Amino acid sequence: MGTPAAGSPGRIPDLLVIGAGLAGLMAAQTGADAGLSVRVVAKGMGATHWAAGTVDVLGYLPTDDTPVHHPLEAVERLPEDHPYRRVGGAPRVARGLARFQELTQALKLPYVAREDGQNWWLPSPAGAPRPAYLAPQAQARGDLERKEPLLIVGFAGLRDFYPRLIAENLARQGIQARAASLPLNLLTPRRDVNTVQLARTLDRPDPVERLGRELRALARPGERIGLPAILGLERHLWTWHRLEAITEAPVFEIPTLPPSVPGIRLFQAWQRHLLAQGVRVEMGMAAIGFQAAGDRILWVETESAARPLRHRAGRFVLATGGILGGGIAAGPDGPAREVVFGLPLAVPTERRHWFRPRFLDPAGHPLFQGGVAVDPALRPVDPRTGQTIYTNLHAAGEILAGTDSIRERSLEGIALATGAAILPAAASP
Amino acid sequence: MRTIHTEILVIGGGATGTGVAWDAALRGFRTVLVEKRDLTHGTTGRYHGLLHSGGRYAVKDPQSARECIHENRVLRRTHTHCIEDTGGFFVVTPEDADSDYPDRFQQACREVGIPCVEIPVAEALRREPLLHPRIARVFQVPDAAADSFLATHATAQAARQEGAEIRIYHEVTRLLVEGGEGDRRVVGAQVQDLVRGEPVRILADMTINAAGAWAGQVARLAGIQVSIIPGKGVMLAASHRLVNTVINRCKMPSDGDIIVPIHTVAVIGTTDVKVADPEHLAIEPWEVRYMLEEADKLVPGFSRTRILRAWAGVRPLYQENAQGMESRDVTRALALLDHRERDGVAGFLTITGGKWTTFRLMAEKTLDRACAHLGVERPCRTAEIPVPGREQGPYWLGHRLHEVETAQLQGELVCECELVTRDMLVQAARFNPTVTLDDLRRDVRLGMGPCQGGFCTYRAVGILHELANEPPEAPTGDAQAWEVAHLQSPRQAARTPTPDKRSPSSAPRPRPSPVLERTHPMANPNLLLRDFLQERWKGVLPILWGQQLKQERLDQLLYLSLMNVDHLPDPELVSPMSDFYTRIPTAETEG
Repeated sequence: MGTPAAGSPGRIPDLLVIGAGLAGLMAAQTGADAGLSVRVVAKGMGATHWAAGTVDVLGYLPTDDTPVHHPLEAVERLPEDHPYRRVGGAPRVARGLARFQELTQALKLPYVAREDGQNWWLPSPAGAPRPAYLAPQAQARGDLERKEPLLIVGFAGLRDFYPRLIAENLARQGIQARAASLPLNLLTPRRDVNTVQLARTLDRPDPVERLGRELRALARPGERIGLPAILGLERHLWTWHRLEAITEAPVFEIPTLPPSVPGIRLFQAWQRHLLAQGVRVEMGMAAIGFQAAGDRILWVETESAARPLRHRAGRFVLATGGILGGGIAAGPDGPAREVVFGLPLAVPTERRHWFRPRFLDPAGHPLFQGGVAVDPALRPVDPRTGQTIYTNLHAAGEILAGTDSIRERSLEGIALATGAAILPAAASP
Repeated sequence: MRTIHTEILVIGGGATGTGVAWDAALRGFRTVLVEKRDLTHGTTGRYHGLLHSGGRYAVKDPQSARECIHENRVLRRTHTHCIEDTGGFFVVTPEDADSDYPDRFQQACREVGIPCVEIPVAEALRREPLLHPRIARVFQVPDAAADSFLATHATAQAARQEGAEIRIYHEVTRLLVEGGEGDRRVVGAQVQDLVRGEPVRILADMTINAAGAWAGQVARLAGIQVSIIPGKGVMLAASHRLVNTVINRCKMPSDGDIIVPIHTVAVIGTTDVKVADPEHLAIEPWEVRYMLEEADKLVPGFSRTRILRAWAGVRPLYQENAQGMESRDVTRALALLDHRERDGVAGFLTITGGKWTTFRLMAEKTLDRACAHLGVERPCRTAEIPVPGREQGPYWLGHRLHEVETAQLQGELVCECELVTRDMLVQAARFNPTVTLDDLRRDVRLGMGPCQGGFCTYRAVGILHELANEPPEAPTGDAQAWEVAHLQSPRQAARTPTPDKRSPSSAPRPRPSPVLERTHPMANPNLLLRDFLQERWKGVLPILWGQQLKQERLDQLLYLSLMNVDHLPDPELVSPMSDFYTRIPTAETEG
């Protein structure tokens, strides 16, 4: 197939992806890479806008909370119904991640892995080392296994970032760190600001120069400078490189409370990249119904401002997310349900089995471990019989059953690995 | 062991206990109050927030109704800023249309002296469009919404200004009893300071047990049997004000027949179930379901709104010889037990029963009796003297938003849901004794909105951690006058405290809160975080569906995936409250 013409009026796309989180974007990319015509419809943004902006593949074993250092090596120790095992284990997971990494080069937002294949341990906004497999370059610079001491710099009055808390917690874990604070009016005259507004400010040269000079004065020789993740939205690499040049010190980003600047950068760049390949990502279109004939989905209906629209396609990818994304919902009485196709869920039926008494229970909460069960081609199956339900419907990302990805820190890894596996291996380049 | 001498020792820091301390201090007694947790941690902080007109009890319990309407009028004067004058409706729903209760209700209100006017249904629907459209009759009464957290703080501050000493996180471990059989006397109590972990002996001429639902446990320490019937009530908060008037069902008081608009939410209540232990309050699925079904009869669609949280409080119901009674049938009237007359134990009174609305009256009767015992005549003045903060005027819903907008404090908001500013949080932590973030929640409503602490927990921890590391800055002005009177005012909190002329110069100097002491639980940010996350989780567990379920999943993303708070230092540290937050009783484990 030549140039895909997805989205052109009157043309039925080969692939319709429902959902625009990392799983949906990766599925769309995989379709486009394979030369298919692709269209993406989504109710809204995915977890990119909430999360740290790293690719967490596996941070802790789901069984006993043991820290994982080699996520890909640990895949074979996961239960068989884990999404990583479903897609074919470590090699398929690695392939999805490699495609993503290659893509981020093209997006000019390179994500980097450690050379030894281990997890990065990067500072969290609470000062805990958080395990991530791929990180944007500016976050990877905060690698806590490197020895240079850290200077964590915040802005007085910025309510979503607390440098002293981070530095003290890191110091108590044996990492040399101290905190400093700059006035917010160094960047903006506004008091009521969030991280996205500050990032936009740092797309401009003047504020970057001012910030750089202040940081240079603060930092001691040999220190790495950690800042909230606000180093530019559209011109991130330029901003980051410029600050390193002015300060003559390594500068790194620490993720903040939402909105997530690193996540938004990635989403926006990827969306533009897909559009350039003819893939339209359309928001504000919640899938609300469908029509099937036998074991094939014919069309999906979306809600929009004017009137419901029907979208025909050859294949469909369900990447609507789990409970957070709205792909799975539960009312006060009924069981949990998959909202678009009414797929049967592998979830405890009774509410009293959904949660454990402790919010931070290392075993997680059973409801969050549930989801849509799939066959090796990621097609939803009936969890009781194992029978494939529709031959042209695939599911990817957080909606899948088999694990609590937030608990084990695999949210993005599962999204990318499964999003990249929606086509049979042979169809992928 | 440290020993403190006082005239009156009050046990219990709810509405009643603080009311007793205020009354005692106003009558010139040296007074110490001890509370085992934070003020209002018990029943006072776990009710729907109704200032009764008495209408609810007019038919069934006229004595209680009379007490309510009397106190309703008094508290509007003395605690003006803690009360929102919502008014109340008693509505006859289609289910109750054939009953003769409405006529009896109207008659009973007349007899008891409750202003009760029947208004046209159309008028009621115009004022409350979400009310059931097929209600048959509507009666208007002077119900109101009361902020029991703020009112208790204001009462406690009034007591402090008169020289009373309020000690929270001080648990009574022993009552000190002297004398032999037939001539026994309570001379004080040994209490445990739960924060410092040290015992304190308090010797008093008169010990007043105002421990509410826990009063039986306290009396037992003196070998006295007081049978409190803990009547558990479950309440649910809807995410917004579905009504702006208190809505009662016009029928014999029962479960799920009242909706109270309070601050930003509407609360449906309650169940009434006898329980064995006031500490172990299971919220059972049938209770949640039943509340929602009953709420729909008053406001159709209530059950489909976003429910923020469920909680249970326990009424301290008391009736001599109440064996085998259903708790719904036990009187709501106050009960003052004179243990000298009743049990031959002098120096000891128990005040229990009653309602939040009647707390001041309960205190008055108690101190009248105490004066008689102590052989002095000192009149009660609590009905005339307002508590600090009253000058702010009556509470209204737009109060915080108005202040935030006029003072342009949008950039200062730590909790966007409840409009809590950084300064409000800092003032509360600095000048009001604080051990956990939940204590601050009761002070300023931190984390009480739709995100249930999702965003503000981290921010509050970050801010308090910075505060704990700052050198204790000498507070300027009269911080004692400052601390609670304006606890909930964004604009006031943004100003430097100024001297309060009405405050007597004898008031104790401000003591910086223990937040600044490094050994205090408040000084460990990771413990604060874990405690509050767990405390908020406890209250959302029974209602996790729809939007609130989604919200909790987001909170998991933030605290696990983004922050990794379950791998922060000091996982083994606990506060005096950690166990309480983690214990989630179920019907099987209860009592």
